[in-house]
Amino acid sequence: MHYMYLPGLFFYLAGVITLTGVNVNPVMANELNCMMCHKHRGLSRIDEKGEFRLFYINNELFDSGPHRRNKCSDCHKDIDRIPHEPAKKVDCTQQCHVIEPSGKKKFSHKNIAKTLASSVHGKLDDEGKEKPHQSDFPGCKDCHDQPLYRPISVFKGVAKHGVSARSISRCKSCHTSGNFAEDFYEHVTSRLHKTRFSKEIIEVCAKCHQDSEFRKRHDLDDVITSYKQTFHGKMVELGSERTPDCLDCHVVEGENNHLIEAKTVATSSTHPSNVGNTCRASDCHKNASAELASFQTHVTYDREKYPLQFYMLVGFKALMAIVLYFFLTLIFLELLRRLFPRFAFFKDNQPHHKNTRPKDQ
Amino acid sequence: MSKYDPIVYKDGKRLFYRFSAHQRVQHVVLFSSVLLLAITGFPLRHAEEAWAKPLYNMMGGTEYAPLIHRAAGTVLLGLFVYHTIYWMVKFYQNQICKLKRENRLTPWNIVKEFFSQEMVPNKKDLVDIVHLWKYLLYFTNRPPRHERMSWREKFDYFAPYWGIPILGPAGVALWWRDELSHIMPGIVLNAAYIMHTDEALLAVLFLFFVHWYNVHYAPEKFPAAKVWLTGYLTEDEMIHEHYADYVKVMIAAGLEEEIKPQHFAGERYGW
Repeated sequence: MHYMYLPGLFFYLAGVITLTGVNVNPVMANELNCMMCHKHRGLSRIDEKGEFRLFYINNELFDSGPHRRNKCSDCHKDIDRIPHEPAKKVDCTQQCHVIEPSGKKKFSHKNIAKTLASSVHGKLDDEGKEKPHQSDFPGCKDCHDQPLYRPISVFKGVAKHGVSARSISRCKSCHTSGNFAEDFYEHVTSRLHKTRFSKEIIEVCAKCHQDSEFRKRHDLDDVITSYKQTFHGKMVELGSERTPDCLDCHVVEGENNHLIEAKTVATSSTHPSNVGNTCRASDCHKNASAELASFQTHVTYDREKYPLQFYMLVGFKALMAIVLYFFLTLIFLELLRRLFPRFAFFKDNQPHHKNTRPKDQ
Repeated sequence: MSKYDPIVYKDGKRLFYRFSAHQRVQHVVLFSSVLLLAITGFPLRHAEEAWAKPLYNMMGGTEYAPLIHRAAGTVLLGLFVYHTIYWMVKFYQNQICKLKRENRLTPWNIVKEFFSQEMVPNKKDLVDIVHLWKYLLYFTNRPPRHERMSWREKFDYFAPYWGIPILGPAGVALWWRDELSHIMPGIVLNAAYIMHTDEALLAVLFLFFVHWYNVHYAPEKFPAAKVWLTGYLTEDEMIHEHYADYVKVMIAAGLEEEIKPQHFAGERYGW
């Protein structure tokens, strides 16, 4: 029976080769073949939903990220031939062909997904029921796009961005085969600090938390705007990497970053009994007392919720308005007065001194 | 004060004494530290604006600009304390010693002397403000005749005296937040944050629009008044801004016959 397909296959092969004019193996997609099409910057289409989709892969960027050792088919398992049908969404929890060195097992992000499911961002509640507005709860790719390595090097006590020849030379003198030293060095040093700039993290959270419809659905304050009004937010905006972003306060020190919990949960970093220690984390306000945590970070200037801030703000704005309007009106009238210096409805001719009778008398 | 003559002559022109070298140096320290504070503080206050990051980076970026801000703040607070001591010493030398010499040293006389100091607001200021509004709204053709310190200068003088006690402690609290948290709850920092940033905005807007109008933008002052450098006012400036004091000083110097009449707004400046 199977032999029946052979002529068809032959004609199919011949057709593809003729149409593309390139000698490729059309059945099994290997790495070279994916990039044959996906290297073109214009590779795109409008999908069924009418959305513009770009399928271009910037190889240079891809090669600076942690997935560079994966083959395309490690993640896009449904694609076994080209040209191919629209690809299915990638399941990040599936096993890929990279062997995780500590356990010698095939690697998967399953553990991360498990942690995420138990966090405030999980799709199920404590009783295992689906939370309302399912599509609002994030999957991997709602927060993560293709990550990039941010290696650092330390030389004579000074940390710098990038791979330093001096640092990596220590690895390469023994680990000579392939790109092992480069891969390992970038993997490890990128994780010695934050893989993303703090500003990017704020933007990731803002994708949902600044959306007013989303906030209305889940009854949430605009925590992004209120964060951006704090000293922390402003320093991050100006490029500081030493001030906290969302994750620094909303994850318990040393815990998996995917375990963000609601402040009502006893183990949460923002639970009233833990928040003091969150502020006093080892690289932050370590000399402070737990009382520091009564500082209110996400102030909305709502009269009911934040009366102190509301009335102080109103007071200062009123003071500013009174002082500035008074003086600016005065300056305006004074400049205007210079155009008509001698005009007045009532003349005051009383001399202050015997020589001082105004000149027009 | 005695080492400065109330009237001096330079190139045949009469100049009137205003500020001693000591006071002028204090003013230089004041405006240098305030400008540094503004330029290292406002990019942070308005971090999301396009100009903020380049300006902040020019001032040392997130690493050094905060250090400059704190250093300048320390200098300004130091100046505040220094000036207060300076004023108290002056008050003792000029007023208390005089009362002692005249054997009139009673608490009530000290209070009276306190309120008769040149920079302390008094009833004449209120009269002058009302008079100025009358003049600006064309109800009189005569501008007010100010004493040695006009109400506007007093406002300028007391602006730092009200601003620094709000800005300074709030700034210190935000700086030493960890240490402070052992004696005060963290919500104090919420209050300090609003005090520091909003009072700073008021101070800077007042400085740039009102004080700089008084000494830079006003047509007769443009591009800049010189009294902060020289310590003396020209006769025209004196007549324009301190007519009552001008008459008083001229009479005291025996120049009663040479007193000139008061100007109208903007006259005699040739612009």
